[in-house]
Amino acid sequence: MRLLLTTLLLLSSLNAESGILDIKWPKPNPQHQKPSTPYPSVLTEGIKKTKLPVYIPNSFAYDKKMVVVANKDFYTISFLLQGATFMVSGDRTFQKSVTTSNSGFQKMMKASSNVEFMEEEGMRSANFNRHGVNYELLIECEQPKTDTRCKEDTFIRKLYSRLIMVGGRP
Amino acid sequence: MRYFLIAFIALALTACATKKNTKVEQTWKGKGFTYYPSGALKPSNSGRGRKGDNYIYAPNIRFPLAYAPAYINSQVYGIGGQFGARGSLCDQRNYKYPWKDNYCEKRTRGMPLCPSGVGHQGVDIRAKDCRNNTHYAVAVEEGVITYIGSYSVKLRGTSGRTYRYLHLNSRSIQVKRGQRVWRGQKIGRVSNNMGGTKTSIHLHFDIKQTIRFGSYSKSVYVPPYSSLVDAYKRLLRGKP
Repeated sequence: MRLLLTTLLLLSSLNAESGILDIKWPKPNPQHQKPSTPYPSVLTEGIKKTKLPVYIPNSFAYDKKMVVVANKDFYTISFLLQGATFMVSGDRTFQKSVTTSNSGFQKMMKASSNVEFMEEEGMRSANFNRHGVNYELLIECEQPKTDTRCKEDTFIRKLYSRLIMVGGRP
Repeated sequence: MRYFLIAFIALALTACATKKNTKVEQTWKGKGFTYYPSGALKPSNSGRGRKGDNYIYAPNIRFPLAYAPAYINSQVYGIGGQFGARGSLCDQRNYKYPWKDNYCEKRTRGMPLCPSGVGHQGVDIRAKDCRNNTHYAVAVEEGVITYIGSYSVKLRGTSGRTYRYLHLNSRSIQVKRGQRVWRGQKIGRVSNNMGGTKTSIHLHFDIKQTIRFGSYSKSVYVPPYSSLVDAYKRLLRGKP
């Protein structure tokens, strides 16, 4: 399958193009969109122009020290934890378009909507596609070889399970 | 039948690539720069590279170190590395051409573009010499700094690609989260920073971009080597 992906990417190199992904917006969820306590302005102002569903783990939604970097096409929100940094990001752009009718390749791309938990240079990440948007969660530790948050998937899996939509607009 | 055809095409491409990958490119325009082709991992037991993929995934980026010379080769399998010949990481033989691709080098990380399905997500680059916290890494493209962690910095270029710089000295970081940077702007100095666990003195550099197929898409770490060869030639030419 990977050889197939390699081949298709090589053959499709002349079809390179970039653009905006189609987003399938979720139905409004009052619980997510209208929290009992307003989110801090650093969050609401930071993602005001972002044209994709914005997710963060619920336990971080009220952290006033978060740093938001965003525009209409992407957002990255990072949080300083004790001995670690956590980041959540979403991006609605693509840089390469592959055109093929091959069913095997299509099957592999469909599988990409499943979340992938990975080890990345001592960090832990979760990568997934939701509503047509690509998201990433990442935890980076000051002590990557001994901190269990970066040695194991448990912590990143927990954060993934606690994602809530806090904003974004079509 | 369809799978037979696909396998045939793949084998044909691999065969072509293998033939091309057996020798080092000759000295480049009198600058002394030589490099092994993309995907030709050295030593051969260091993993299976993407042989034959010379596609430039990030066209016209600036080279991520401020100046030449710089050396792309393995940290793990190089002299002094975990699986390399005995010696110092600062051995002069680690600071010589030809360049050796190390994208897809043996790792346990899931990598859909690597032939084995796992591998190194980017390439390791040594600066001019082994001095710590001396040589600057710079922005490869105009963009915005989206993230700074214990030992990593992420730059999202205006192209939408995300470039990751690892192991810069934390105190040398010249940028802040949310800061717009221009191409060639200093980011920080190359070091052995990996949080509390030190690594060798080098820059790990990788490129993440999204591939779309119909209504599906996937963000992947793409091969950076060919893009960097191209960028390095421009740097040597004095037009980074």
